Amino acid sequence: MTKLTPRMKNWIEGLGAHIGTATKKGFPTTIVVESVKVEGDNIVKVQLSEAQVSQIKQNISENPQVALGPGGLGSIRAAYQFKGVAKIESTTLVVEVKEIYCTKPGPEAALRLDILPYENIIKFESTRWRDTGPPK
Amino acid sequence: MKLTDEMKDTLSIIGAGGAVVHFTTCSADGKPNTVGERFVAVWKDEYILIADMYAQKTRFNLMENPIGVITIAHPVLGRTWAFRGPTTMLQEGLPPDYEFHGAKAKDVLDEWGNWAEKEPPSEVPPDIRPPMLVQRGVIFMKVDEVYSYNASEAGKKIL
Repeated sequence: MTKLTPRMKNWIEGLGAHIGTATKKGFPTTIVVESVKVEGDNIVKVQLSEAQVSQIKQNISENPQVALGPGGLGSIRAAYQFKGVAKIESTTLVVEVKEIYCTKPGPEAALRLDILPYENIIKFESTRWRDTGPPK
Repeated sequence: MKLTDEMKDTLSIIGAGGAVVHFTTCSADGKPNTVGERFVAVWKDEYILIADMYAQKTRFNLMENPIGVITIAHPVLGRTWAFRGPTTMLQEGLPPDYEFHGAKAKDVLDEWGNWAEKEPPSEVPPDIRPPMLVQRGVIFMKVDEVYSYNASEAGKKIL
């Protein structure tokens, strides 16, 4: 099962995410949130505004597939992408992450991380980045 | 539709590799792909381009579903903008007269086909710098609409 690392959690909990959604025919809409909450190994919960719910609820109802990229400084420093399925519960977007990719430009762009043993993901991170989350 | 001067300024940080944005594409059957990108620029007031450093899924998606969304990663001064429109990838080898929504590929590539030479990104820290700036072409969007992603007014049409 997919499991986010502490570094991944720190970045998206600290600086939020850009969340891509789409109609089932592939017309994309992106929303941006300033923080999220990671629960367990791979559940990301996002508190939405009424306007955000209104903007994406049709997309989520007809096509639950979403993609998340870390926001702010994480756009570059936390080069991950999380893909999964989502549902909206009241004003909370609940995402079950099913795939994790490295998006660092270069030869490892699009490398799928969640298929690696967890300890190998940790090792991968420690040899690519110096931080464990956004600056305090 | 022309971008405002404020939008162009936000997307064009000369000498620093451009703004940092997220770029969302989608497969034809609806699976989104959202990745952070730098090396961003504006072309002729109505197009946004991003250096294509061998984007993988982005390329597949645009080949079957040529539309994208660009969102500003660092929204200062209320610049919480999302740009959406038809998008393609331009690279050498296209027919000499190839056009995309009024733009000639040759003109775009003549100006932005060698990003490292035109705007060397000298400020990128070593641990997040690509090992080499190897560019295949440019990701090229004709902006059709701009909406706000500010949480309180998400989806509000700006342009």
